[in-house]
Amino acid sequence: MPSKDKVLEEVTRTENIDIDAALDPAEPDGVFRDSRECAALALQSGGTNLLLSPPTPRPKKG
Amino acid sequence: MSGRDASVRDARVRDVSVRGVEEAALAWVWAHRDRFALGEDALAADGQVNRTWKPLGELTQVCASVARCTPPDDPLHTRVSELLDFAWQQTHRGELFPLMQSLEPFATYPLEVYAAFASAGLRHPGYEASAAVVARTRGWRLTEQYPTRRLGVLEAERRSGIPPHGGVPQATDRTWLGGLPEPWTFERAAGYALTHVVFHLTDWGSTARGVPADLAEYLLHWLPPWLDTCLDARMYDLSCELLAVAASLPRPPEQALLEDAWQRVAAAQRGSGAIPEEGAAQDAAGPDPGPDPYDFTDCYHSTLMAAFAAALTTAATAPPPDVRHAAPLGGQHAGQGAPG
Amino acid sequence: MEQSSTSALLQGTVLDLASDVVSALRSGDHVRAGSTLTGGGAGEGVARAAVRVLGADTLLPSVLLGVPPGPGQLAVFKDAVAAHPPRDDAAPAVVWSHWAMTRALRRTGPSPDGPPSDGTGAEPDARWLDGAGWQFLTHQLAVLAPLALPGEECAVTRVARGRPVDVARGFVRAVRRRDWQQAAGAGRWLTLLDGVPDTLGLEAGLDFVRLMGGSDPRVALQLEAARLMPAAVLL
Repeated sequence: MPSKDKVLEEVTRTENIDIDAALDPAEPDGVFRDSRECAALALQSGGTNLLLSPPTPRPKKG
Repeated sequence: MSGRDASVRDARVRDVSVRGVEEAALAWVWAHRDRFALGEDALAADGQVNRTWKPLGELTQVCASVARCTPPDDPLHTRVSELLDFAWQQTHRGELFPLMQSLEPFATYPLEVYAAFASAGLRHPGYEASAAVVARTRGWRLTEQYPTRRLGVLEAERRSGIPPHGGVPQATDRTWLGGLPEPWTFERAAGYALTHVVFHLTDWGSTARGVPADLAEYLLHWLPPWLDTCLDARMYDLSCELLAVAASLPRPPEQALLEDAWQRVAAAQRGSGAIPEEGAAQDAAGPDPGPDPYDFTDCYHSTLMAAFAAALTTAATAPPPDVRHAAPLGGQHAGQGAPG
Repeated sequence: MEQSSTSALLQGTVLDLASDVVSALRSGDHVRAGSTLTGGGAGEGVARAAVRVLGADTLLPSVLLGVPPGPGQLAVFKDAVAAHPPRDDAAPAVVWSHWAMTRALRRTGPSPDGPPSDGTGAEPDARWLDGAGWQFLTHQLAVLAPLALPGEECAVTRVARGRPVDVARGFVRAVRRRDWQQAAGAGRWLTLLDGVPDTLGLEAGLDFVRLMGGSDPRVALQLEAARLMPAAVLL
């Protein structure tokens, strides 16, 4: 733990600066991130084309 | 009316820059019109619809709207009329639509693109008749789509002379905007959905009365923080769409709220008139970009939307308040490209 | 280096102090509100500065719950008011947060050695908010969230009452920016205002801010205040 004198000394030195900055803070930059879209599970790959074109036919089994 | 008259004076200074954005954006579109041309892949099974039909439909829709709300003696009216001719030629004067239908009978996008032409009075009766046959099927009515897209298809049917397969109010209720969600849940996807709901309800800005009163009030309340944060995030494309929405409401938002947004859009416009879709394109262009630094795909849509929003804004604040309904081109019809 | 370490110490003490206030608001135990101040974890100067930064909300448990503050806590609060008066050129938010502290003292410590009545209590003006854009207005109101109290009037409160839609817009903006502290402060104001559009969904919004930003005790403090305010009866 820092000694009391040291702390007081530091506070005295910085009080006026720090306190005013803390009392009237500038607005932080906005943080923006949108939801990503994940195709529904078990949907065929390349699902991004679903909205605009018909899905490509799946290979038939058996 | 008197409220609008009062706002006209306040809007004088702003109109100068909004008009400037519109002129520059349309200059870019004109200079790059060949990039909207349909290539051979437009009909190919593996062709990219989003790179062919979608841009052409969007060009058409924006030009139809600008033509409608710009006086015939305005040079911009001439410019967009020429662009409409160009776009119609790309479809072989509509002949490609029946051809598309024979290839992909159940796809909705050809009808949505066609509706943009129909709204400008460019029609192909044969295609409308054959599209109506498909639209009568249960399969067409049950096409799985986002609610916003469903609304768009309904409007496309109406504008193409086909009886809509469902009710607009019911379709609206199922959209994000129609449910009046908490405005702080807004994100990019919700934003694009809501702008298109308004575009469809208002015939792309021509009939403000198409917006139900509760939606209009909701939008007046919350457009300002959405615009502000989208511009902060440098999402210029969505911002321009939101500005178009603001200009499509029965009562315009406070002018001061929009002025700031227009200034920021104008600041993002390059000398060529190009406006980037999002900030990533600006970053990629580097610190000293030239007048036309963006790839077509990174700026065509936002530049079109800027022209669209500016034309609506100018018309909404012009001295004769109903000038945007006065232009004869296309009558009460309007069309739509695919959302986005 | 020294400056940033001192700054970090102050910041940490503000957070500890805010945690104490949150605990007290949740439990109704006003004594716990003073534990950071009386526990000897920070030097007196730092504690005093931290109280000045947290401002009138340091006494919020007493104000909202109607329990008198502990004597030690009150002493540090008075010291903070006395040691950190606003400079002549201080920003309005600094002047107002100091005024809010003197008002809190008047409300909670009506003892003979309370704040001097030589004009220190005179209310500042709110002209800096005249014609302020809704973004700036909301930011300033959030900074001055300690002024948002039920039944209390001042010039800033009157400005807020006149602009409920703008503050609601600011709340939406703050959430969109993920500025949880501003969102929580604006949300606290909104609980006091008439004319907030129902579509805002304030209650769900406050829950959302708590979910996303509630681990910051300064955010939690505003949310606790918002939760208690409708029911609170001021002294």
